[in-house]
Amino acid sequence: MSDKHRVTRRQFLNYALTGVGGFMAAGTLMPMLRFAFDPILKEEAGTDMVAVADVKEITTEPKRFDFKVKVKDAWYESEEPRSAWVYKDEKGEIVALSPICKHLGCTVDWNTDKEHPNQFFCPCHYGRYTKDGTNVPGTPPQAPLDRYEYKVKDGKLYLGKAKPRGEA
Amino acid sequence: MKWIAADVEIYAKEKDYIDTALISLIPITIADGAKAAASGGEFVQLIVNEAERQLKGRVFLFPPFAYFANEQREGLVQRLGHWTRQLMEDGMKHVFYVTCDDAWKEYETQLSGRLWIVPAVPLQNMDESYKHEIVRDQTSRLLNFFISQWS
Ligand code: FES
Repeated sequence: MSDKHRVTRRQFLNYALTGVGGFMAAGTLMPMLRFAFDPILKEEAGTDMVAVADVKEITTEPKRFDFKVKVKDAWYESEEPRSAWVYKDEKGEIVALSPICKHLGCTVDWNTDKEHPNQFFCPCHYGRYTKDGTNVPGTPPQAPLDRYEYKVKDGKLYLGKAKPRGEA
Repeated sequence: MKWIAADVEIYAKEKDYIDTALISLIPITIADGAKAAASGGEFVQLIVNEAERQLKGRVFLFPPFAYFANEQREGLVQRLGHWTRQLMEDGMKHVFYVTCDDAWKEYETQLSGRLWIVPAVPLQNMDESYKHEIVRDQTSRLLNFFISQWS
């Protein structure tokens, strides 16, 4: 057998073992621990709060922060990217908006439409929202941007689930 | 939108808004150049998936247009032309191709959609955060290309 073959096989084994190990850790261990300690968490996978930013980074100008959350679909648990637009309002309160356009789900940007400064703008069908996330009438979105649940702990901002305004 | 039943359902209702088809052109070989081809294909998939995530309300990401690296280009151009015509007939206004295979460059004028070629990047040897950075950068270039084509 040539050298090449042996390496390939060893590589394959490596992959296979990593795969099995990862699968066992994620697929078996985690849920078991979770059931043992807190059965309610079962339904709540993906809603745990995630540290997203240092509070001192947050200004009155919306800034985009990217983070990852664990999600579970029919087949496996994976990490999915999320973003939030975060700023402090006039009262000094933190506002964390979901960037997902309420029309058909594109990602909105802050202050990128020259004709309408200081608004959130959706490049797909030109949906707009004011700084507090309220949809601008006459543009496609029919609802305000969702707001993330948040908490501040030890100078860090944690975000939870994004919820329709009024519920958050 | 992705090629999954739930998204197709939305598409059926919102056809007027979802007017852009995105197709990755993925060369396949298990002979010479296999690793480069696979790594290019991987990179393209990362980018188109991320582009779909950010523009899902207007962009429909189709399953890849896959072909063997040594297939006759003329035949491929024809087949891709057929896909594109069909999509346009069925209501798409823009068709974009994203590929790592720069052999398409030469045939660009014969294609009825717009071609976007991503650079060859050895993703495998990169650490996670750098990789992330590159995918992000390439995605945002692609998004800007879409947006400029729309307006
Ligand atoms: S998805 Fe934002 S305006 Fe249509």
